[in-house]
Amino acid sequence: MTAPDRTSAPAIEFDGVTFTYAGGTRALDGLDLRIEPGETVAIVGQNGSGKSTLVKHLNGLLRPDSGRVLLDGRDVRPVHAARLAALAGLAFQNPDRQLFAGNVRSEVEFGPRNLGVRGRDLDARVGAALEAVGLAGELETNAYDMGYSRRKLLAIASVLAMRTPILILDEPTTGQDARGVALVGGLVEAAAAEGRTVIAVSHDMRFAAERFGRVVVMRAGRVVVDGTPAEVFAEKRWPELRAANLEPPLPAVAGARLGLGSTPTDAALVAAVRARNR
Amino acid sequence: MPRTRRPALPPVDRGLPDYVTRRTSGFYRELNPATKLALAALEVVVVFAVPGWLGPLVVLAIVAGVAAATRTGRELAVIGLAASPLVISIMVVNLFVLPGAADPIFHAGPIAPTWSGLWFGLLTSTRLLTFSSAVALAYLTTPVDDLLADMSRRGLGRRGVFVVGASVQMVPRTIERVGEIMDAQRARGMDTEGRIWRRARAVVPLAAPVVFGALTEVEERTMALEARAFTAPGRQTLLRAPADRASERALRWLALIALVAVLVARVSGRLG
Amino acid sequence: MSLDLAAVRYRYAGSMSVALGPLDLSLEPGQVVGVAGANESGKTTLCLAASGMAPAVVGGHLDGAVEIDGVAASTLRPHELAQRCGLLFQRAATQLTHTTATVFEEVGFGPCNLSLARDDVVARVWWALAALGIEDLAPRDPTRLSGGQGQLVALAAVLALRPKYLILDEPTSELDPAGTGLVADGLVRAARETGAGILLVEHKTDVLARIADRMIVLDRGGVALAGPAAAVLGDDRLVELGVEPPARVRLARDLRAAGLDLTPDLAGALE
Repeated sequence: MTAPDRTSAPAIEFDGVTFTYAGGTRALDGLDLRIEPGETVAIVGQNGSGKSTLVKHLNGLLRPDSGRVLLDGRDVRPVHAARLAALAGLAFQNPDRQLFAGNVRSEVEFGPRNLGVRGRDLDARVGAALEAVGLAGELETNAYDMGYSRRKLLAIASVLAMRTPILILDEPTTGQDARGVALVGGLVEAAAAEGRTVIAVSHDMRFAAERFGRVVVMRAGRVVVDGTPAEVFAEKRWPELRAANLEPPLPAVAGARLGLGSTPTDAALVAAVRARNR
Repeated sequence: MPRTRRPALPPVDRGLPDYVTRRTSGFYRELNPATKLALAALEVVVVFAVPGWLGPLVVLAIVAGVAAATRTGRELAVIGLAASPLVISIMVVNLFVLPGAADPIFHAGPIAPTWSGLWFGLLTSTRLLTFSSAVALAYLTTPVDDLLADMSRRGLGRRGVFVVGASVQMVPRTIERVGEIMDAQRARGMDTEGRIWRRARAVVPLAAPVVFGALTEVEERTMALEARAFTAPGRQTLLRAPADRASERALRWLALIALVAVLVARVSGRLG
Repeated sequence: MSLDLAAVRYRYAGSMSVALGPLDLSLEPGQVVGVAGANESGKTTLCLAASGMAPAVVGGHLDGAVEIDGVAASTLRPHELAQRCGLLFQRAATQLTHTTATVFEEVGFGPCNLSLARDDVVARVWWALAALGIEDLAPRDPTRLSGGQGQLVALAAVLALRPKYLILDEPTSELDPAGTGLVADGLVRAARETGAGILLVEHKTDVLARIADRMIVLDRGGVALAGPAAAVLGDDRLVELGVEPPARVRLARDLRAAGLDLTPDLAGALE
């Protein structure tokens, strides 16, 4: 696969993908999913539903036992994980698995360096990435001198700097305070505005409803609900959500109780109430 | 929330469950861990002190028998496989560079493997595999907490017990952790399948998170242990401990005497 | 009978800045006190100071007084502190000993450390498991549990020491909604069954709204807000203090900000 053009994200397709871990746990069970370039997708589900397993197939860390993973129609199987990293950057849930460099600067440089970026381009990327996560000015800080939530933001910055057409975030909001959650939401929207495909694995329903154009609900290795937040959190889908051990966010519940249709976010509920009052 | 009186403990109608006092089955498995270790020590000494093929072959026969009886053959095979790079390098070194060997098998230009080299290489490899199997058998057939409980019963302090237990656990956990770290760094473009010098550069990005992760965990784990009264004085209560019989004690003494006898015989030249 | 912090200030070892304080706090048995605040506002430090872990185990310098049922924490050894004040952290994995084969033995680790008679240990283990309703987990391997189950086992392990007070530092942070619910329910049960006083640090204000009686909000090591949970969670200053209000509060506020009256049916829908 050739080096990606920064502005054209590939279409992603999972075609009947099955994956079982060595211990015998079947994490993906004949999963089908198609993601168009530039979409923002939140993959939600309880722990063990296969969400993280799914995204690790996108950058080649895991390979399907059966079925195929396709980027722009081409099977990714023959491509090394290190090369897929140029297409799909994945920020892990636990930042301590990634952080190793003496300081923030080296940490954020690691990814783009591996992709061959040098010099002024590298500095610019590092600066922009740290700015996006609110860590500008911390270039010389040692990662392990920072608290857990800031380490998490640092890990995200180190992937942002790779400027991959597909950006994948694994549970980016867990352990974050209000400011951290807002930062993560902002950078999702900024990345989407640049035309990147943004995929987040999350069990934060509000985050999913507010920042993503599409919500994919997983349960036992399969997709059970798939659509816009309004579609997924509509009342008629609640039984399926509950079967997946998830609850719709409060605005959706309030909107349903008031008979206002599907209002998955605060803004939607406010708009619906205003419309009703007119 | 209303203030509640602290309720008394309920009467003990449930005792220690079976799965805690579980008995393992099989003669060898049920042996006290100290006995297994004593036997393994004797076997190791025999492998190395008795010259020629006799020592290794005798122990190999014993190990094979016990492995079959305890059905640990497959796990032993895996360990043998793990030792295969070492075996291969032993064979190569001995085949081609055994000093003083003068009986070549064939010539291929300047390279000439020798029969003596082959013989000696096979002997050394067999010794290696046999002694590691003897030790591995003791390890594979003893659940860690049996070993710890036994050590505790013999008076090893709780810190010692904990260090041993945690260290044993640390190996699989570290392996798992290294796997996760490797995944995370590959996701940032680190090349693990390419040229060797590139992979050498991967050492720090792989090793550092292991170390840092372990260190940051240490403080939290220390506090968690303190929160469980780990540093309380006195002897730790044992919920269970493997039994030790007089016959096993006798067996251990015999093994120790035999071990010393073999060593003495070897050192004094009696074994040649 | 209470856990009291009076004019407490704390500095970590080797640090010049005051991480916590000056601060006063009182925790009574049977009560749940919630603690919220932005990251690095001193929440974890508060947990360490209140449980006596700081300075007894982590070192550092503490001014003021921490008293547990009238006894100064500074006079107590760590194992004595553990029997008065249970402490639980974010990740279940680091709290497991990894040296036990079953949940039963894991929960029994603490009582065994206290050299209690075997029958006592057994009784305490069953009691702790029953208090949380997790007796069915007793034969399981502690390292093979889900996140929520792991935290409940860690909680049971601490309860087995029969502490009067429980201090929990973001116990649901890594858990999914189902796991979070499990732990929240477990805490409610623990408070009811054991009568323990609970200090619960959480980002998830919805959880605090559900189970806390009182609340404090920390800001740069000091108490910025304090009072009954409902009042604090409804306070307008929460957002500027870096705390996300509960969904209910947030929605009501959004509606009011849009100039919409909170009619009864609307208010009811937000329950």
